[in-house]
Amino acid sequence: MHAFHIRYRNTQGTLMRILNAASRRALDLPYVKASAAGQEHSVTLLLEANAKQIGQLCRDWHAIVDVTDVRVGAPPKDLADLEAQWSSTPHPPASAGIRNTSASAART
Amino acid sequence: MLKGAEIVLRCLRAEGIDLVFGYPGGAIMPLYDALDGSGVRHILTRHEQGAVFAAEGYARATGKVGVAMATSGPGATNLVTGIADAKMDSVPLVCITGQVRTAMIGTDAFQETDVFGMTLSLTKWSRLVRTIEEIPSAIAEGFHWARSGRPGPVVIDIPTDVMKAKMEFAGAVKFIPHAKPSDVHAESGFSEKLIAMLQAAKKPVALVGAGAKISGAVSDLRRLLDHLNIPTIATVHGLGAVPPEAPYYLGMVGMHGTRASNTALHETDLLLVFGARLDDRVTGDPTRFAPDARIVHFEIDPAQLDRVRACELPVIGDLADTIPAFHREVKKISLPDWSEWRAVAGGPERAELDPRGLSQSTVRFLDELFSRLPENSFVVTDVGQHQMWAAQRYRSSFPRGFVTSGGLGSMGFALPAAIGVQMAKPDALVVCVSGDGGFQMNIQELATVRRLNLPIKNVIIDNKYLGMVRQWQQLFYARNYAETDLSDNPDFVAIAEAYKIHASRLGEEAMREFPVTEQTGDALERFLHSSEPELLVFDCQPEANVYPMVPAGAALSEMLFEED
Repeated sequence: MHAFHIRYRNTQGTLMRILNAASRRALDLPYVKASAAGQEHSVTLLLEANAKQIGQLCRDWHAIVDVTDVRVGAPPKDLADLEAQWSSTPHPPASAGIRNTSASAART
Repeated sequence: MLKGAEIVLRCLRAEGIDLVFGYPGGAIMPLYDALDGSGVRHILTRHEQGAVFAAEGYARATGKVGVAMATSGPGATNLVTGIADAKMDSVPLVCITGQVRTAMIGTDAFQETDVFGMTLSLTKWSRLVRTIEEIPSAIAEGFHWARSGRPGPVVIDIPTDVMKAKMEFAGAVKFIPHAKPSDVHAESGFSEKLIAMLQAAKKPVALVGAGAKISGAVSDLRRLLDHLNIPTIATVHGLGAVPPEAPYYLGMVGMHGTRASNTALHETDLLLVFGARLDDRVTGDPTRFAPDARIVHFEIDPAQLDRVRACELPVIGDLADTIPAFHREVKKISLPDWSEWRAVAGGPERAELDPRGLSQSTVRFLDELFSRLPENSFVVTDVGQHQMWAAQRYRSSFPRGFVTSGGLGSMGFALPAAIGVQMAKPDALVVCVSGDGGFQMNIQELATVRRLNLPIKNVIIDNKYLGMVRQWQQLFYARNYAETDLSDNPDFVAIAEAYKIHASRLGEEAMREFPVTEQTGDALERFLHSSEPELLVFDCQPEANVYPMVPAGAALSEMLFEED
């Protein structure tokens, strides 16, 4: 079981797109909690996925227009532990020789 | 004060749109009412699926955003296949749908469907517009996402009362996207790693997909490939990106790819992927795909990386940036001598065999047809055996010239897509190749062809079967031809003539003589160079198969050949 923490702008359909990425793979969602988080929203999902699915899910979530951050947490001992998982590792898509940039987002 | 519908059309004009494809209905009537004098030309198709495929054809031929319009309910649901098709093949598409009045949403009103909800997993972005004030920003943002990054489909659903409302319109707006912390692009640092991998490689191969065309990077890619001079193969959407006469080009790869391409891909120790998703029709069994290869993936969409096979060096970014960046660096070093590998990969023992058996006449027919096309012609295909024969025999270096539904494989695509292509390129020769099954899925668009007098050259490869399914039934289901027999097909010539389109029939025996007789050659010339729409029915051998073939779930090295 893995915990996924996703931040997003709460625009129409964004949460549903996040959930769709799991449901299209027939992954059960035993735990979902979405709430406001400062200027944005966040959702925490708990689901069983293999390493390949985790990679695919993270990439799918990053590809959603209004998703801003995706992190994968360690399996929780207790559901209550999920609330404290935001310190877990970010999982951005990687490229060789990359740097973060805001300019590429503005390119059309 | 302008009505919402007028604002929609003003915003479309601001996005450079002067042509849309659609079909009217109740909830979208305000938009149709405002069309006259708007500067936006509307092409009426005879089915909403025809409209969305035509918009796709327009977009695929030009690289611009295609626009389709439909009403709520069934109008919107009829767009769904085209939206999914655009998603799979990275086609920039904006669909504008009418919706029931705002107050009626959620009441199961007449012709109400949740098009926003049903297309969430198919669209790159979508919006149910709630107020007239949202229209400019929704259209600006929708067009931005449709054409940016990996292009894709967008749905903008507008309730009829929003289109009827009025407000002061200050002009179209420009959308400025938020930066994402994860936005990344490749810098020149990747070249160093890639050069080291190249220098260690004994059997490098380049695989070209649609990404190079979409990025406008074809010229850059060709210069790089000329420099690398390594065996190069293409996906069905990559056809035309590499000149077929290039000495290092081995042809199409995948389920019906060439012997040389599939073998090289199976043997390579370094695979450079340029803008391809590596879907299962390209990879065969992913666990046995390029088993010895280190993979370098040039890709604009991080979501496509590692989908079926992990790559060792992902190069995320627009190919128009990353290919020249790599070329600049690789020019500075001397490359290993791969002449022995080139000779093996493209050697005579891996050359395609001349077609023989039942498919011979169809393949010769397509060769005859394609050899007569001017360089910048378009070949639009439907889905099935004819599509694969056409892809195998396509010999053109016109990057956008081969238009097909690759990822979704939507039968019924070709005729309406050809309408969109011809509207986009009125002076180009557009040949639409269909099977007898797929042609009947959107046959009503012959009326659109006639109404607009589009000189599309329609070819039906008529084998009186759903041929590709029948081929699988023959090879993998003990010849149980369950529900694939179309021997009761209508008379296509008579149908075309009912639409006032000139039509003729060519028997496959005409292709048994090689070269073809002067009479057959003249008939093909007349067909291609008529200024009117035409239909030619080619009677194919009913049990002709497409070879080579990699059975589903097999490795690319496990090709079946006609002699098998």
